[in-house]
Amino acid sequence: MTDPGPFEPEDVAVLARRYGPGRRVVAACWHDGSRGTKTGLEKVVTGQMNTDPLAVRDVFASHYFLLAFLASLGTTQVAVSISGARGLWLTPHRTVTRWLGIALIVTGFLIFFAQPLWIEGPWAAGSVEADSVSREWGQADWGDLSGARNVNDIHGGLDGTKQAIWFPLSAVLAFAISALFGALNLRVFKTTVGPGERLGLDEEGAGGLTGLARRSYFSNLPVSWRLFTSEVGEIWRTGLASADRWSVFRVIFGRSGE
Amino acid sequence: MNSLDADLVIRLNGLSGNIAIFDDLMRFVASDYLMPLIFSLCMLALWFSGRSPAERAKYQLATLVGISALALSNIAVWLINITWERPRPFIDHGDQLNLLFYPPTDPSFPANPVAIGFAAAAAAWSVNRKFGWWMFAAASLYGFSRLYAGVFYPTDIVGGAIVGVAVFGFTSYLRRFLEPLVTTFVRLMRGLSAA
Repeated sequence: MTDPGPFEPEDVAVLARRYGPGRRVVAACWHDGSRGTKTGLEKVVTGQMNTDPLAVRDVFASHYFLLAFLASLGTTQVAVSISGARGLWLTPHRTVTRWLGIALIVTGFLIFFAQPLWIEGPWAAGSVEADSVSREWGQADWGDLSGARNVNDIHGGLDGTKQAIWFPLSAVLAFAISALFGALNLRVFKTTVGPGERLGLDEEGAGGLTGLARRSYFSNLPVSWRLFTSEVGEIWRTGLASADRWSVFRVIFGRSGE
Repeated sequence: MNSLDADLVIRLNGLSGNIAIFDDLMRFVASDYLMPLIFSLCMLALWFSGRSPAERAKYQLATLVGISALALSNIAVWLINITWERPRPFIDHGDQLNLLFYPPTDPSFPANPVAIGFAAAAAAWSVNRKFGWWMFAAASLYGFSRLYAGVFYPTDIVGGAIVGVAVFGFTSYLRRFLEPLVTTFVRLMRGLSAA
């Protein structure tokens, strides 16, 4: 990012057209990049930025986390209902779990995109058409809802990096909630695997998600960890022996891993 | 080529303003939060949804490669951006476009959102064709929405798709140089009852 640098009258004319009448464009700055070439419009320095980017970012981060959590929880439920990892189900029934998962995903997106209707943010009526500089703080109305969340990251929207931080956190929380409720579920409903029921995962002594077909997360964890610690040496050695000859680890440790 | 590109984006964007509900739908689809999250959720679903241990292990390796490809796509796009800084269509043709999305400040080519979408779709397609085709469709719709909104040229979208798939291919190839670390990581997650 650069300071407002030299700008040309036509740049200002472009801005003035974009931001519409009533917006006094006093300066334009271009992103110079390392090679000193114009790459695109960076921002308008008008003193008319109507929302504080940090306040916008806070609103977006909390809303996005809720969305990502609900959607991750829903997706996990749909996926584990397919794989049969009963220890992660929120309900005792496969079909109910799957539909609950779908409902959670839809609810997450509905809440996120409808929130501007009842929560104040950078989406007040009349200001959400295209740009995110000229927005007013307030609640959106129905007509502005579709563009309400389209806020540039330099004006407080979440960029890819922030989303890449929030999403895994929400997914881990969703997994923890699934494990907790799955354990309660198994305990309260005393769910057992019916003789005629096809779980798809049917190895008695297995760990990981396979073990979760019959056990809660908390009783499955020691079994899984014991299996891992007993197998890890062999996994590494076998993997090293069959790895590509240019594998970084094979180059460092040799074929046998000794 | 450039004029054809500009002509296409102007014509497509010119359709906006006729059917309000379609414009609204495209604004939702073009959002920074809808499709990228759907791609991430698809990766999450892939991680958990294998029906047998062998299938799950295959899916989980594909998920790891897919996530790495997403990250590497961003780097690839950035490298192309610093090599060729193509202005956005609304910079060159602002008076002919009805912008439905905020004006992004980064260069136009290749379309970053499409690159990540296609990288994730390619990862899914490599292990589950049906699921992968749905993801390719979603990534294409995402690209179309940005084109319709007037923030990308058609060649940006095609370029993004090529970059995404190519980076996935490269990441899959790269994986062999990191074995047995990748497989051991999946087994570690299994040891934590999360895979």
